[in-house]
Amino acid sequence: MTQNHLINRDIAIVAYGETPIERRSGKTTFEFAAAAMEQILSRTGLRPADIGGFATNIAHSESANQYATAYLCDSLGLTPRFMQVSDHGGGAALASVSRGAMALQAGLCDCVLVLGADAPTTQWHGKNLGFRPEFWDPTGIQGPPGAFGFLMHRYMHQYQLKFEALGKLAVTQRDGALANPNALPSLRKAITLDDYLNSRIVSSPLRLLDSVMFADGGAGVLMMRTERARALGLTRFVHPTAYAEITNFNGRATLPDITQTGFSVVGPEVLDKAGLKPAGVRMFHPYDDFLIAVMLQLEQSGFCKGGEGSDFLLATDISRTGALPINTGGGQISCGQIGLASGFTNLVEAVRQMFGEAEGRQVTDPRNAMVTGIGIIPYGGNWSVSAAMILEQG
Amino acid sequence: MSEPVKIRPAPTPTNLTQRFWQGAADEKLMLQFDPASNRFQFYPRPASLETGKQNLEWRTASGKGIIYSFTITHVPAAGFEDKVPYAVGLVELDEGVRVVANLVNVDPEQLAIGQRVRLCWETLPDDKRYFAFELDD
Repeated sequence: MTQNHLINRDIAIVAYGETPIERRSGKTTFEFAAAAMEQILSRTGLRPADIGGFATNIAHSESANQYATAYLCDSLGLTPRFMQVSDHGGGAALASVSRGAMALQAGLCDCVLVLGADAPTTQWHGKNLGFRPEFWDPTGIQGPPGAFGFLMHRYMHQYQLKFEALGKLAVTQRDGALANPNALPSLRKAITLDDYLNSRIVSSPLRLLDSVMFADGGAGVLMMRTERARALGLTRFVHPTAYAEITNFNGRATLPDITQTGFSVVGPEVLDKAGLKPAGVRMFHPYDDFLIAVMLQLEQSGFCKGGEGSDFLLATDISRTGALPINTGGGQISCGQIGLASGFTNLVEAVRQMFGEAEGRQVTDPRNAMVTGIGIIPYGGNWSVSAAMILEQG
Repeated sequence: MSEPVKIRPAPTPTNLTQRFWQGAADEKLMLQFDPASNRFQFYPRPASLETGKQNLEWRTASGKGIIYSFTITHVPAAGFEDKVPYAVGLVELDEGVRVVANLVNVDPEQLAIGQRVRLCWETLPDDKRYFAFELDD
């Protein structure tokens, strides 16, 4: 196990911001970043000059821009003494919070603005290189839907997958989006289990309603040392208290069990670091690019045994009033996936709940949350980056 | 106004993958072999995944294996519109390594995990030969 650097509640998230999610917005990533930053500044009374550290993600819409992060600072009037861009795909949000905390602990800066933004449905500059042009694309396999098709099919071969369990997750998350004004408007329509079961197959056995839809948007948090937050007179905090990540899990194995993911490492580890058992997790905000990923995270983090995710989901009330609320704002599947800033949707919903501001979908006693991130499709595996964080209410 | 023509992407060999493509031209599926760990690896990497050494050899695969998993694509990638539905397999070769390849010459509905498959060859739009698999009966 790696060491926990988020001890003694000495790091505080003091504000969050999130834009409405849109498709084909016509806006740039920088505009979404500015909109999220404006909310954070107005909630804290800070100005761009006060932002000592800045951490963000690589964006599909800006990936041809070799200087995107510095130009984003230039665009937003930021002059950070610590600048970080995270290349963890959907794990970038949590990776940025983790690295921002390290910068604060090292005294490199006195606050860190962790901002995610992307506008892939307006502008796309991403290129999938590495093995993909020669050893993936010639087969016509879709990127993430193809890899998750392999994964889901193999899971069905080894275990019992009940589609009504994934359907329950789809319906429950959609109910969250109905109460979330920032969710993509086209997704703010109720769905039924039959809608899920009857949705068309994209890359078998993966259905359309198993999958995210790209969208544009921005979100972020501001973090600082807890003692500084108190000195500034801020009173509401969310503390990141444990973090674990792994990249390229099983990356040397030639014949890995692809149903085993990096969450078999980081899930139990992050709970152990926080001194929590799965039953002590008040809310779960898992990265949800595909519904099967949520089931695998539940199993491999220890909420249930391997292969028993379907029965766990069917037996557990995962609504906002239930024993284990999951992705209360709709998650990415029912809000839209804001490109490579996607992990911020899960993160900010957890923080919003813990600030008691999730109007219309507020969880009672939101004392802690487990948030996760997933990133990047490897050759013949499941996913590259697995990241998990525990947040606790201050 | 006509639809823009969608082109199936043509791969460009690199220095690292030249040997793979030379083999493909002769209908040989070339795998890297690591003599130190006695393991095959695929796709081509610049070094052994186990030792980090660059002393890799190239060997010709037997072309026999089983379907470890597969997916049937109903929403095609650009350039594959006329092939829908088509199957892509994660094939476990008898050499102990997995490859991603099309499963061809079969009704996709007849496919199942665990079926034996054998190597066959297709032609990419730029006339390169590319490996695929069909059921081995």
